[in-house]
Amino acid sequence: MKLTLELRENAGLQWVLERLSPLSPFGRTAVRELPWYGPGTEAALEEELDNVALAMRLWNAGSTRPQEEPDCSCGPAELTPADLQDAAAALRGVTKQLPLFHDIRGSFDRDPGVPFDLVELFEIKHFLVTFERLEQAYAAMPPLSGIVFPSLAEALELMDTDGRRLPTFTIANCYHNDLAPLRAEKAKLEKAIRMTQEEKRGPLLEKRRQLAVQEDQLELIVRQELTGRLMVWKERFLSCMETLGRLDLIVAKAKLALRFGCVRPALSGDKSITLRGVRHPQVEEDLNNRGERFTPLDLDLSKGCTVITGANMGGKTVSLRSTVLSLLLCQCGFFVFAQSARLPLFDRVELILADSGPGAGGLSSFGKEVHLLDKLLQETRDQFFFVALDEFARGTNPQEGAALARALVRHLGSQDCVALMTTHYDGVSDVAGAHYQVAGLVRDIQGDEGDDPRKRIARRMDYRLLPAPPGAPCPRDALRVCRLLKLDDSLMELFQADL
Amino acid sequence: MEHLLAPLVGDASPVTVIGLCKNAGKTTAMRRLMAELGGERLALTSVGRDGESTDLVTGTEKPDLYVKAGDLFATARGMLSLCDPTLEVVGLTDVMTPLGPVAVLRALSDGYVQLAGPSAAGQLPPLTRTFLELGAQRVLIDGAAGRKSLAGAGVEGVALLCTGASLDRDMELVVAETAHTCWLFGRKPPEEPRLRQALDGLEARFALFTPEGEPLELPLDETGSPRWSKLPRQPLAVWAAGGVMDPLLKTLARRGAPTTLIAADATHVLAGRAALDLFLRNGGELRVRRKLTIAAVAANPWSAYGWHFEAEKFVQALRQALDLPVVNVKEA
Repeated sequence: MKLTLELRENAGLQWVLERLSPLSPFGRTAVRELPWYGPGTEAALEEELDNVALAMRLWNAGSTRPQEEPDCSCGPAELTPADLQDAAAALRGVTKQLPLFHDIRGSFDRDPGVPFDLVELFEIKHFLVTFERLEQAYAAMPPLSGIVFPSLAEALELMDTDGRRLPTFTIANCYHNDLAPLRAEKAKLEKAIRMTQEEKRGPLLEKRRQLAVQEDQLELIVRQELTGRLMVWKERFLSCMETLGRLDLIVAKAKLALRFGCVRPALSGDKSITLRGVRHPQVEEDLNNRGERFTPLDLDLSKGCTVITGANMGGKTVSLRSTVLSLLLCQCGFFVFAQSARLPLFDRVELILADSGPGAGGLSSFGKEVHLLDKLLQETRDQFFFVALDEFARGTNPQEGAALARALVRHLGSQDCVALMTTHYDGVSDVAGAHYQVAGLVRDIQGDEGDDPRKRIARRMDYRLLPAPPGAPCPRDALRVCRLLKLDDSLMELFQADL
Repeated sequence: MEHLLAPLVGDASPVTVIGLCKNAGKTTAMRRLMAELGGERLALTSVGRDGESTDLVTGTEKPDLYVKAGDLFATARGMLSLCDPTLEVVGLTDVMTPLGPVAVLRALSDGYVQLAGPSAAGQLPPLTRTFLELGAQRVLIDGAAGRKSLAGAGVEGVALLCTGASLDRDMELVVAETAHTCWLFGRKPPEEPRLRQALDGLEARFALFTPEGEPLELPLDETGSPRWSKLPRQPLAVWAAGGVMDPLLKTLARRGAPTTLIAADATHVLAGRAALDLFLRNGGELRVRRKLTIAAVAANPWSAYGWHFEAEKFVQALRQALDLPVVNVKEA
């Protein structure tokens, strides 16, 4: 499945990815090309999550103020505290090397007949020396599953003829038998030039120029030969860089999970979603900045369509986004923002928001919704998918809209999918598999008229999602919300009179 | 060889060779300096090669430098095929140029090199540090040519200013322009310690102070630009972070009270001589936050355009107009 920018932005995945800090150019590529763990790849996903858990444990143990042992429910071999410290130090050794890598993939994208230039050879040697250090550090920690590096020892030997592992490169005399005598002759001549008065240097300089040209030709032969030999290992180099990228991504995921207190998702065998204390980190940060708190949500979704109703500004859309974000993160091999999560793997996860902003390609918000839904249903004929719909069909007249929403809930109930829909229409929850309602404006508070309306609503709102019976009527809170938002008095009077 | 330039630059590093115009004899001065400093492990780079790359392409001129084994230099990757010593790559900077990234190299033998270093002044200090870490004893920078592109010259160390007949056919004008540039480089920071302190680390585009260093509010218009006409009629110190052009000097000259204008350094004063004279005649004073040093002026009486000055007369005229040592780098 393709993670489009629109989906990443709407779900908040982009926000999360921006907080990932890969250290190498290869890690940055890995973040751009996240794998999608769909149905059938459970084992691979568990392996990735094991890796993240292990990296979390080691990173945490190596930090100056370790948190309590994170509960990773993972099973790498038991580590004694001393072993754990050693392994943690080894991981730091690995991450110390990662930022030193330069991206040399471009250099390998060439015809083997075109020789590397001196700087490219330097870059390759620099890569090999750095890689060797990383490999040594990596060997000292419990291995991450699937992170196995191909050997580049031969290449390093070729590039580091004196074995000193210096971060410099020159075409050494040992690469070609004729180089040493030629360079000795040239050096002698250069010494003579230095001894000669400036006006009389002409013929000597000419001689030197000829030698320099010969040297250049020999160096070209050497560069061609080195290029030929290095290009034989091209696949190894590329696979090595790809593996470095995956390793980098695992560590970045672990650091993110530690920073935000994320939890390892469990994979559910049936087709149901269980989320406890799920959060949306982007919304949470925004609230924290305003001095408010995010209310973590609990949700149980099973096959078919679940409907959420509730007051305006009650966090219905946030609950959709939180659910979609959890699914996307899990299926990309991340820990999720929740206290616990049990999730199935979907072929496809989609979030359809009523207002998708500009760029809708000449479609109204209603038109776009219908178009996106139709596209999804067409494309997922034989797939197990998840779809979240925000107030589907709100953009048309209420009678037809409600009928369309009901029809969709019924239709989704017969599909191989899990769906979550918010709505203000009565009668939609009657046909749904399950029904949640935002607890709503339950708190009666007086005397804060001067405050920010958003704060006043937040103070009165209980954002928890509570299971509600099918067919329970949608709450009528628009009037109160308008009042809290300080809508113009005369308009409010007319509104009230009309109700 | 007679040591002409080496005593003038002393122990300073880096030494930036700048030219008042193209063909002012920058390369000659650079070569001369390298020869005189032959006993030191030198590190070379260049800045602002915009004009010369054309010559490199057309091959009409080859301003290459002959380095000795052990010297370091930084040049763009695309220039390496034009360098003929046995080379060792010792590093790659993150400075990008149209000719590829700038690499740091060590010459393992003598030979000719072509320099194409960073084009932004801010990229030079890190490179200078790299050179010193690699064991260079002195850094030489082939600086920019043309008065409007001197930025960064002499920020650290000293500058060697090259001037010559290529600037103009009129010798008096060449001398006057040279004197003007030297005068700008001679500007000093304000004497009032409180004012100096207030300027330290100041990032605002413009700021207003009393001559004693007391900050004053600068009247602004709707777009956020200063309203110079609303300045209080009293002696003031005005800080200008960017380039100082003619209009600012003319406005400040006419405001009816003495003004001390403080620029970031001499290379930021891009205004012409006429506007500067007007400003100074009206009681204005020009100061800088950071003093730059010209160690010496190298004169080239030959122009690339067919005319030339009498060497002796040119050097004498310069010596008369300047308080700095003047040498004819070709005379020895």
